[in-house]
Amino acid sequence: MTDAALAPISRPPAPAARGHATPAATSWITPTRVLGLVIGALFAGPAGFVAWRTIRLGGDLGSALAEVPAPLWRTVQLSSLVSISTAVLGTGLAWLTTRTDLPGRRLWRVALVLPLVLPSFVGAAAFISGLAPGGVVHDSLDALGISPPDRFRGLGAAWLVLTAFTYPYVYLPVAARLLGLRSHLEESGRLLGLSSMSTFIKVTLPQLRSAILGGGLLVFLYTLSEFGAVQLLGYDTLTRVIFSSRQTNRALSFAAATVVLILALCVVALERSQRGAARPDDRAASMNRRAAQLGWAKIPALGVCGLTVVVGLIVPVTSLATWARRGLSDGRIGFGQLVEPAASTALVAVSAAIVATTVVLPIALATTRRPHRSSDVAAVSVVVGFAIPGLVLALALAVLTLNTPALERLYQTTGLLIIAYVIHFGSQALASSESAARAVPNGLRESSRLLEPSPIRRFFTVDFPLMRPGLLAGGGLVLLSTVKELPATLLLAPPDFSTLSTEIWAAYEEGFYAEAGLASIVLIAVSAVLTWFLVLRRSDVVRR
Amino acid sequence: MVVLTPVATDVRDAKHFSGSGAYTAAMIPSPRTLRHAATAVALAALVSAASACGGDDADVTIYSGRTDNLIQPILDDFEASTGLSVEVKYGSSADLALLIEEEAEAGESKADVFLSQSPGSLGFLEQNGRLAQLPDETLALVSPSVSDDGGQWVGFSGRQRVLVYNTDLVDPADLPDSVFALTGAEWSGRVGVAPSNGSFQDFVTAMRVTEGDDDTADWLAGLNANDPKIYANNNAIVQAVGRGEVEVGLVNHYYNYRAIAENPDQPSANHNFAPDDPGSLLIVTGAAIIATDDADDIAAGAQLIDFLLSSSGQQYFATETFEYPLAAGEPPASDVPAIDFTDVGGIAYEDLGGGLEQTRVLITDAGFDG
Repeated sequence: MTDAALAPISRPPAPAARGHATPAATSWITPTRVLGLVIGALFAGPAGFVAWRTIRLGGDLGSALAEVPAPLWRTVQLSSLVSISTAVLGTGLAWLTTRTDLPGRRLWRVALVLPLVLPSFVGAAAFISGLAPGGVVHDSLDALGISPPDRFRGLGAAWLVLTAFTYPYVYLPVAARLLGLRSHLEESGRLLGLSSMSTFIKVTLPQLRSAILGGGLLVFLYTLSEFGAVQLLGYDTLTRVIFSSRQTNRALSFAAATVVLILALCVVALERSQRGAARPDDRAASMNRRAAQLGWAKIPALGVCGLTVVVGLIVPVTSLATWARRGLSDGRIGFGQLVEPAASTALVAVSAAIVATTVVLPIALATTRRPHRSSDVAAVSVVVGFAIPGLVLALALAVLTLNTPALERLYQTTGLLIIAYVIHFGSQALASSESAARAVPNGLRESSRLLEPSPIRRFFTVDFPLMRPGLLAGGGLVLLSTVKELPATLLLAPPDFSTLSTEIWAAYEEGFYAEAGLASIVLIAVSAVLTWFLVLRRSDVVRR
Repeated sequence: MVVLTPVATDVRDAKHFSGSGAYTAAMIPSPRTLRHAATAVALAALVSAASACGGDDADVTIYSGRTDNLIQPILDDFEASTGLSVEVKYGSSADLALLIEEEAEAGESKADVFLSQSPGSLGFLEQNGRLAQLPDETLALVSPSVSDDGGQWVGFSGRQRVLVYNTDLVDPADLPDSVFALTGAEWSGRVGVAPSNGSFQDFVTAMRVTEGDDDTADWLAGLNANDPKIYANNNAIVQAVGRGEVEVGLVNHYYNYRAIAENPDQPSANHNFAPDDPGSLLIVTGAAIIATDDADDIAAGAQLIDFLLSSSGQQYFATETFEYPLAAGEPPASDVPAIDFTDVGGIAYEDLGGGLEQTRVLITDAGFDG
């Protein structure tokens, strides 16, 4: 879509309005685009460092590629499979909980977000322990007369665990988009005799395309940089090459990280080319909401929601509770030592969510309002930040701050930690913000331009209220991801600063399962409370 | 059957869109919008306040590859008895070593003392010239067999490699004296291994020192050909042995003591290979001082390491973590079998660091990790 297409159809010949529009028509330089590029450049810092270090260490990409084809292929396989399954599951659940008369919709909308809070290595460990004899899954399957699997390892296991814990990356933006979409097209479809399934496929799905692609991309990049869970589940991916050679062969380690980044760039470029023209809705959103009556289909629908929550939440939490109970019953552990880490976790996570949502907003506005290659470059650099494994990102930021006198004061402060989270998870806010920006009808923006000359006031009075559900969803994703982040937190946190995820790691690493279980349960509780009060309660995802 | 029915329209949206005349209502910032802005500003202030207090400097800054559960109490004792303040950054030994290396390269070292679970990470820093020479008095506290020949690091607790076995599935009389026996046909499909784990790699490096690369490569290939079960770490092996998923596993000795402490019913026990067998390697947790021009930092660091090697420090490791105390004359916990350190001598620990890359190549070439 060109600038011309976005120009108001009947712009009044007022001098003020023309003066506003002329520079944009003749030059690509607009304040939003420039701001977007500056932000994009900051996000690109760590990736740039990885490339520079690879070259400086003499890391020969050719020889690295010779060493990595098998793990590379496994990484591509796993990431693709998880992306596809989460896209299907997340979209289906979003439709069920926003567009139908599914019983308990409000409860499901909260419960279905929660699997995202578990650090995936904790989820994997809980699954392994749940499937072991005496574990919750093993005994339940036994009681049902199904013989439990002997081993839980490899591609299938990694696929199941990552799908169960990452589908909310698709579910949240798609649900937000569904709530912002007018239903008049669907109603027309129904009136013209389409079945509800055809209506969903032919009418609704195309409008969800960008939200689904954006969410699926996040899942792909998450899987790409994931290390803890896939290692526990015995599935060797590219990140293992990065980790196992990080000390013994740093050239190879950085070359492998560069391969991850190149793969991420290709996938991000592919996604941006496939999402189609970003066309804002022409008319007001959210009028005349109609719910589909599920009828008998309620039973399988409830089954799908229930199974998702059982696999993503109940099974791991039961395993974790079993660990914690052993320690609580003999008084070895208590909640007292977890208060400070819980407070630290909440502080950094809320800060990261606010900062991330704010800094990516200019890019989201630039890419959706007046698409231009420069904005796309900025967006790609934000998105690729998610694909950098946490350890590599942390090392990059450490080196960049240590070697820049002006930034040296930032080293080992919570400030730098929050910057790391923002770079790592900004993509999650961006995907949702882009959807949110599309929810603002063009006609409304044009009309408001006549009445309010200040673009900043216009943003807060017209755009912001309409974008709010999407912005909250994006902030919520950043918050949940930050709460469970581990490798970058370990490396960049100030001394004596611990979060719940570092407590879980420390306990698990040394085999103190009781502590690990208790800290995990506190982490889930903190995430649930923060998500409820800061995101869900204020967002339309629950209100409607 | 799916039927569409109307659902109540949201009132707030109607406010904005009920017609062009209503737009003026949306032009005034709502109290809620202002409140959001105020919250954001307050949080930003909070964050910058939190950042500003990150830089306070303690007398001794420790980077510890050992997690707080297993060392913080003894560091608290150190603060109480010396009056020196301590701050600790926890992480995995290898990651912290990388961070120390980057800090040193930028000329901005923050760490005074590095406590490493892996001799490999100490070797990495020593090779790069990032460690200071330890005082002779500190080196004299332990047997030379468990400290660096170059005098740049000293062991303060030890972990022995053992074979953990399931007591329901395996008769202890059938367990071998040598780790080399595990490539035999009778052990096919019965052994748990963690080839990507640091302590397994340290053990293989030690085997290369005593047996040579060719024999080590042969053993690794034989082990891999014997259908071993692969795990991520020692803990996973001990848990798997406990639930009977695999019969025996190559691990460090203390994991089983901790697993039993967590779950006394777990049917698992340790088996020691013969004392001179590479399978019974002792891996030390080492302490080093980061190279600096500041003599005070070195003195404070040495004071901390001496405290770890004092009787109270050593008995903490013996009784709380079930490790071997390494200072002369300190006995292990009562249910941990004593070992004679002169038997484990002879392995040049510094080679564990320098040769780790070659070890990784051998492990990969044997078909592990593939």
